[in-house]
Amino acid sequence: MTSETGFDPALYKRFPTPGPRPEGELEELKRIWCAPRRWEYLTVVNNNYVGLYYVGAAFLFFVLAGVLALVMRVQLALPLNGILPQDTYNQFFTMHGTVMMFLFAVPAVEALGVLLLPQMLAARDLPFPRLSAYAFWAYLVGGLCFFASLFVGLAPDGGWFMYPPLTSTAYSPGINADFWLLGIGFIEISAIAGAIEILVGVLRTRAPGMTLDKMPIFAWALLVFAVMIIIGFPAVILSTLLLELERALNWPFFDPTRGGDPLLWQHLFWFFGHPEVYIIFLPAAGLVSMMVATLARVPLVGYRLIVLGLLATGFISFGVWAHHMFSTGMPALSVGFFSAASMAVSVPAGIQVFSWIATLAAGRPRLNTPTLFLVGGIVIFVLGGLTGVMVALVPFDWQVHDTYFIVAHLHYVLIGGMVFPMFAAFYYWTPMISRNALSERVGRWVFWLMFAGMHVAFLPMHLTGLMGMPRRVYTYLPGRDWEITNFASTVGAFLFTAGVLLFIVDVARRFRPSNEGNAGNVFGAGTLEWLPNGLYSARSIPVVSSREPLWDNPRLAEDVDAGRYFLPNAATGRRETIVTSPLRAEPQYLQIMPGPSVWPLVAAIGTAGFFMLLTVQAYTASNVSGVIAVLAMLRWMWDTDRPIEVDDADIGAGIRVPTYATGAHTHGWWAMVVLLVVIFMIFLMAVFAYLYLYGIHSRFWIAPPELRWLALVAGSGIAASGLALWARRRLTRPDAALWPEPTMVLAAAALLVASLGVDLWSWRDAGLRPEASGQGATVFAFISLQGVLVAISVLMALYLAARNARGLVTRPANNSFDVIVLFIAYTGAQGTLAALLTRLFPGAL
Amino acid sequence: MAAWRSMLGGLIVWAAHFFTLYILASVFGTSPAARIGTGIASLLAIAAAIVLLRAARRHDDADPLGRWMTSIKKLAAALAIVAVTWQALPALIG
Repeated sequence: MTSETGFDPALYKRFPTPGPRPEGELEELKRIWCAPRRWEYLTVVNNNYVGLYYVGAAFLFFVLAGVLALVMRVQLALPLNGILPQDTYNQFFTMHGTVMMFLFAVPAVEALGVLLLPQMLAARDLPFPRLSAYAFWAYLVGGLCFFASLFVGLAPDGGWFMYPPLTSTAYSPGINADFWLLGIGFIEISAIAGAIEILVGVLRTRAPGMTLDKMPIFAWALLVFAVMIIIGFPAVILSTLLLELERALNWPFFDPTRGGDPLLWQHLFWFFGHPEVYIIFLPAAGLVSMMVATLARVPLVGYRLIVLGLLATGFISFGVWAHHMFSTGMPALSVGFFSAASMAVSVPAGIQVFSWIATLAAGRPRLNTPTLFLVGGIVIFVLGGLTGVMVALVPFDWQVHDTYFIVAHLHYVLIGGMVFPMFAAFYYWTPMISRNALSERVGRWVFWLMFAGMHVAFLPMHLTGLMGMPRRVYTYLPGRDWEITNFASTVGAFLFTAGVLLFIVDVARRFRPSNEGNAGNVFGAGTLEWLPNGLYSARSIPVVSSREPLWDNPRLAEDVDAGRYFLPNAATGRRETIVTSPLRAEPQYLQIMPGPSVWPLVAAIGTAGFFMLLTVQAYTASNVSGVIAVLAMLRWMWDTDRPIEVDDADIGAGIRVPTYATGAHTHGWWAMVVLLVVIFMIFLMAVFAYLYLYGIHSRFWIAPPELRWLALVAGSGIAASGLALWARRRLTRPDAALWPEPTMVLAAAALLVASLGVDLWSWRDAGLRPEASGQGATVFAFISLQGVLVAISVLMALYLAARNARGLVTRPANNSFDVIVLFIAYTGAQGTLAALLTRLFPGAL
Repeated sequence: MAAWRSMLGGLIVWAAHFFTLYILASVFGTSPAARIGTGIASLLAIAAAIVLLRAARRHDDADPLGRWMTSIKKLAAALAIVAVTWQALPALIG
């Protein structure tokens, strides 16, 4: 057999190991992975808890946003209704969309990933448990503060996509828009933290033998989802940053009178916004693929095609953003290209739908609640997909743009593509984490109320739109034939709500969280999350030889529970999991995992506080909050990356792996590379903004500083990168002393500061001002972005020096040293690229 | 990364093609230059996808994972040929 890492796959034949395991192993595992007590529930990092919290919080926001929708439907039930004044209605629809998209949909699928992935992959936990905890708490605390803005009349009111100039200070002078722009800052951080966790988790913590072709479809879906967040979210990070800079400092990115352009916002926002739909849909589709096979009692039909469909959707979803802009007057050829791409995107989604139908047809499906939600979801999603193809046709889109037809379309897609699969997942996976399954009888009521309510609410809405009712109006005049369809939609919304309420009642009655003593594999599934589980996940980590291991090896659960596979004990006496190779999942090393800590919680509160206090212009308090967040993060990292007494450990059947690894194949290095991809994508979007504004309004542009300054800026940046990399190389020398290499890293950080200073000074000396033109705004945006990276580099270099002073920087290699050098080297390179672009284009043309 | 690049080659060609087309249409508008550029870019993309497809067909893997990844590579390259042709149609027949 081929090997990826030099590991001999023949060693898998040693499992399951014969004979009983030594006494006390299981007790030690339970002690190490023990349940929290009292206030320790706030400091847990175990995915069993954080995942559950996360799902609960996402559902809470679903309910809150749903309540807003219900009030809006009451307002629109009759013409000239007076339930909501216009301003409040604007806040309600903005918050409904924003909360559903940012605080429910994306976090909900991330939450299900945190909850289910380690069990599906048979890992002890995801690779960065404290990062998961931080992502959750930042999301919860920030999300609640953000939602509370409604109660003081300060909620954003510009729609969930916040187009300027409506959201510029001229038309939105209050701080409502700032709440949106800064308020979703912590959600962006949380989403990216979760995506890094999931991406590294899927690729590096799979059970041995779980090669790519044996990976659960949900893991494939989350892999594509995480990559899409990493590529797509930077666009919204940059766009919110630019609009906030325009509002706060008068930098005219979107003001055409000074060389900006409001359409730049639309390009940036939709480059994120359209993939966002698939970011939500793909994990839900992954859930459907997992459930449909079990419920139909046959292996999934078209596994390979579904993987291709997921990958193809991931790619094409970044090529359709401008179909939201058909009515903005783009060149006809551009419109034609985006129309063609928008129709093509239905093909990979169609592949998945046909595979699900084929699986149901090939098997003997049980008509229980999860199956009802699955089939109902497929029906709704297909209807939404068909209207999606209709609006991909440009002449039709022009007719229905910004009408209720679009509202109906997007709700069909999102409710069918995400909400119904999520409810199916609730019913399906509850027995894995609860002592009781949810009620089958009540579940059928829940389904039919939601299914009927969905259609009664949104089917007539297509007609409302075709009859010309624009979206986002707070009322309408009688006599336009909109009364009946609007009233029907309101009735449907209440039916749907009744279903959700019944579900909540059922959860309150039946759901009793418990890892040990859960209801178990009641649907007879074949994947690893249904192995007997404790807080440590499975007792031992099995060798995977098929996609449905529990179906193909009926003894597997018993052997795993008896500790006859990998890592049947705590080999080092700590929390640990096996890190495996990305393609063939061959064991590489043992990762020591951090345990419970209060610091992720403190850092999350600090992060949320920083953004929220900034919104209400409490600058001092905001800065204090930011400093608290940074210090808490440093404190939490201080505990990590500690070498342990033993160099290697037996992970079962006499197979030994290292307990500490460094370099490009480690999970920490991978996480840093992913983070740098995020930063690079922000940079790339800024490059797009720069070139776009030059293409639109070049007459506002002035000559750059003299080229000698470029030599200084770029030279310092390159020198900083080189020095940092050289320091890493020197660290491996056998005679490396205590201080030379950390000092070189400090010097590299100092060079970055110098490079930034010269860059800033020379542009100001050339007469460029950020508030003067689109050029000034984008050039100073580049400098600001670089300033943030340089500040982090300095902080990291000082942190490294502090660790070195305490003897924590191990020789000949050290993970903290590696990732800090990587970051500093990248910062130097990005600063150099930005300087080259802004000074040579268009200056050297 | 080489394994991933190889497996996703067809999809990468497809993505490079549609971004190239968007740039051409943005820079040259709805002009003959944009249409000619689209034709050339599409021919190049189809040629690249055919090369990937032929390379995948020649590849003979001994183990199941290798065969599986090669099959994804073939499907992605085949999909790219169809998708690139479809994407170019607005410029070529419009």
